[in-house]
Amino acid sequence: MGSSAKRKKEKQKDFQKPKLKVGKAKAKPENFTDTSFRSKAIVLNQQSLHVSAPNADSQFSHHLSLLSSKSDSQRRDSLAHLTTTIASRPVNSPLPQPVSVMLPSLLPLILDANNNVRTALLKLLRTLPNNDVQDHVAQLLPYVRAGMTHLAADIRVSAVEILSWMVEAAGEAVVSCAGGWIKTFNCFLSILGWHTEESARWSSNRASFGKSGSQGRPMVKVLGALAGFLDAGIGAPGASDGGEDPLVVQSSSTWPFPLCQTSQHMISDSATPYAYLNLFGQPRDEEGEMYETREDRFRVFSTRFLPAVERGLKSAREEGGELGRASSGVTKVLKEALSYGSGP
Amino acid sequence: MVKRKLGALEKVEADLSYIEDFRAQHYQYESHREIFMAAPSAATDTGIISLRELIDFISHVADCYPEILKDFPRQLIDMLMQHHLVLEQELREKLVGSIVLLKKKDLIDSATLLHTLFPILISTPSKTLRALLFQKILSELRQANSKTTNHKLNRTMQTVLFNLVTSDRTSSKALWAIKLTRELWKRQIWTDAKAVEVMKEAALSENEKVIVGGVRFFLGGDKEREDMEDESSDEETLDIGRLRHTLQINKKSKKKARVAEKAMATHKKKERKKTQPHPLNFSALHLLHDPQGFAETLFSKHLQSSKSKLNLEQKLLVLQLVSRLVGLHKLHIMSLYSYFQKFLTPRQPSVTSFLASLAQATHDLVPPDVLEPLVQKIANEFVSEASAGEVATAGLNAIREICVRQPLAMNETLLQDLVMYKKSKDKGVMMASKGLLSLYRDVGAQMLKKRDRGKEASMGLRSGEKEQRRFGEQETGGIEGLELLEKWKEEERRKKREEKGLASDDEDDDDDENDWAAWNVEDDNDSDDSGGWINVESDAEIELSDSEDEGKDRPSKKTKQDDPETKKDENIAAEEKKLSTLATTRILTPADLAKLAELRAQASVNTALNGTKSRRGGLPAARHTDDPLTAQEIEGLAALSAAKATREERIAHAREGKPDRDEHKSKEARRRERKQEQGKSTTNKEKARRKNFLMTLGKAKSKNKRSLVETRAVLKAHHDRQKRGGKRGNVGN
Repeated sequence: MGSSAKRKKEKQKDFQKPKLKVGKAKAKPENFTDTSFRSKAIVLNQQSLHVSAPNADSQFSHHLSLLSSKSDSQRRDSLAHLTTTIASRPVNSPLPQPVSVMLPSLLPLILDANNNVRTALLKLLRTLPNNDVQDHVAQLLPYVRAGMTHLAADIRVSAVEILSWMVEAAGEAVVSCAGGWIKTFNCFLSILGWHTEESARWSSNRASFGKSGSQGRPMVKVLGALAGFLDAGIGAPGASDGGEDPLVVQSSSTWPFPLCQTSQHMISDSATPYAYLNLFGQPRDEEGEMYETREDRFRVFSTRFLPAVERGLKSAREEGGELGRASSGVTKVLKEALSYGSGP
Repeated sequence: MVKRKLGALEKVEADLSYIEDFRAQHYQYESHREIFMAAPSAATDTGIISLRELIDFISHVADCYPEILKDFPRQLIDMLMQHHLVLEQELREKLVGSIVLLKKKDLIDSATLLHTLFPILISTPSKTLRALLFQKILSELRQANSKTTNHKLNRTMQTVLFNLVTSDRTSSKALWAIKLTRELWKRQIWTDAKAVEVMKEAALSENEKVIVGGVRFFLGGDKEREDMEDESSDEETLDIGRLRHTLQINKKSKKKARVAEKAMATHKKKERKKTQPHPLNFSALHLLHDPQGFAETLFSKHLQSSKSKLNLEQKLLVLQLVSRLVGLHKLHIMSLYSYFQKFLTPRQPSVTSFLASLAQATHDLVPPDVLEPLVQKIANEFVSEASAGEVATAGLNAIREICVRQPLAMNETLLQDLVMYKKSKDKGVMMASKGLLSLYRDVGAQMLKKRDRGKEASMGLRSGEKEQRRFGEQETGGIEGLELLEKWKEEERRKKREEKGLASDDEDDDDDENDWAAWNVEDDNDSDDSGGWINVESDAEIELSDSEDEGKDRPSKKTKQDDPETKKDENIAAEEKKLSTLATTRILTPADLAKLAELRAQASVNTALNGTKSRRGGLPAARHTDDPLTAQEIEGLAALSAAKATREERIAHAREGKPDRDEHKSKEARRRERKQEQGKSTTNKEKARRKNFLMTLGKAKSKNKRSLVETRAVLKAHHDRQKRGGKRGNVGN
């Protein structure tokens, strides 16, 4: 209880104030812990000291590594830097880094959550040379498809934009690579909501899954991309002057008379000429198969997708307005393709 | 929170209005899978997370869209089987969980599931994954066998395990087969010979761990199973009456009602289970095909061969198994006994285990001339005046255990020599020697000196009833307790007759019919009135006389006891005749068998109380043939033999028999404690006693100050109150 004198004295001892004296350091408390330490050297491992400024190449690879940074603005700025470096390089000089090196860090950005990053990515992709893109379409497509079915509408739209760029840059490769035709088409139908009869009705709340995006007129963009995709896949060869015709003309002209169709027997100039054999990949199913010729693609299209597309187009036309106008572009391509039929 | 969300997902019906959304998610999954499969080891974090979530989602709604998800299970299985080495851990676990979920939704069958998980279990280096897979496989097998035994699945799984064990005898992968089989055996899911066969092959493997795993299964698997069963049966013995009572008193709420309902349901279920027939489970040792071959191979491969790499402890385990097999199935491995020879010295580490194994390996068909040198050696090495008490005790106990099983292994001089140790100062040695003595009084009294034989044995010898059994001679046996049943039936019949008022000897056919009517065991059968209770005769004299005393008979008793002895001989012939009739002329109904079991239990309790009778049966009767002989039994009362035991040890030894006893307390205190535990209230007396002293002070003071008149009034009032029977009164006023 503290009644005795001894106890009182003991108690007081706890509450005594330390006496301060002038000119002397303050007494340290009892529970003081010394945290200072000594070291022979202090190393800053973040610092890099160079006599000269980093050259363009090392800067380029540095920014490439920054693409996986956590901060959005950092990624966007790095993309912008890469874009200007590629765009401003002298004509016909090679890229600072080959596309195959750049792609692994670029691809995940297709699904990036930030709008600005994706826009910057599209800009960068547009600067890449077309024939390089052609060889890497197979790598790009799964990411684009993942983007097209993403829950966020903005990502869907930018994925469609990237797809339309790819069709422009390497249309033939896009539609003929493994899984490029059926799977991508499925994604289109799903993004448009044209799969089943019910979902294609104009009154139904289509393309409603996920968050609605901030960018306007997504359907118009999608329809535009679909038109391009259809044209690349089953468009009448005469109408769009790419692909085989000029090649045939050229080859027949370059080789003298007794040799005909010699180009077929020459070593192919594409990067992966034997991709259709699928020597190293997973076994493919029907959807993942390569459809290399227009006939194949047309056959698949007419059996699988034609009714759905026609139904969807009809309802889009009925809706009118901007959407109706955009659908007419697709209708035109479709009509040409149908009139050309399965082949000459 | 998340769990609830997923639970809600599972209830989603196959609603076509969601199909577009689902399709989009499925394409999303497909493309993520494609991205992932292109480079499984180099996938990015975000990619893995989204793939994991997509797999989770899709597998939860997989049963709603079977058409779209035809390939989904196959894809998951492929992903897991091809890439389980490089997969990120969480994704891997998610894959396993999803595949199991798909099985739960019946999208794949259990054979596929097991064929997927098991190869990964035995090949993966990851510990966590192994634990997960093992648990999943086990629960899958349990689940598949929960309603009815899934013979087909069990057979395929057992074949897989068997092949695993036999394909590569040097690898330790077979441990998984052992672990799985043992677990399933313990839970009584696998109880057949095929599972035992797997373990047999494991015991014959070349890898030490596998061998020990297999051997341990045979030595302890059945014990484990029994323990498990006991545990599950008495895990919740809730008192229904009490539950109802508390439900009435306590505050009523929905939650409490629900809890009570649940408890009642489990109680009912358990009751129902009790009435179901008990599954007949053979022990693993009995289910072996060709035990002779198995024991021989075990012995020659692991014990005799110089190439075996087992250490002493492991060898002892194998030896225990071999000797149990030999003892249980009465096998003949002659080289086994000479193998023991070199281990029977007191200096040998864990020699008591060797002694126990030797005794275990003895049975009545072992030639005595094989055992005799061993017994002689034990006697020479262990039992002498010079050796320590524990050593001599162990030796004597071992000799007794051997001789219980094969009495002919002993010769006369040695026996008489050993029996002399009953005078030893050492308590352990004395007890062990007396044990040997009482054994031979029973099985070979003529080998003992005359003064050691005891009354009973010498009389038996004189009448010629007790002869030493010759080698290979078997006892003629019947059904144990059958005579008891017959007696009981007789009694019942007489009672009925008396009720009817007939003469007790009258024969009537109708009770045969009654018996047939009571074919099944009925709960409210009057024969079952003792239900669970065993009558213990209160007036039966409990004789715990020491064997020493039996020699010197009290004259008064002698005449009494002689009488039945002489009569007995006459009765024997008649009794035997009776014995045969009941079992051969009638079919014993299940009710009869139940009664038989009951009578047998009662008889065993009675014999346990009457000490002398229990000793007649000897040790082997008390012990079940399946029970192993342990080193502790050989050591016997060695603890008593030396005064070296510390106080703590002695206290622990004294406490052994009485497990749950806390500090000493008065009866009253115990009762109060029990009452408090049960939540009952205190009596008024107790309340008064406990009342705070200061509160009682005022009243006590005022009592002193009362005037005479006041005191009178108070006393009178008290008197009246007493008359009335308390304040409220116990009459209707």
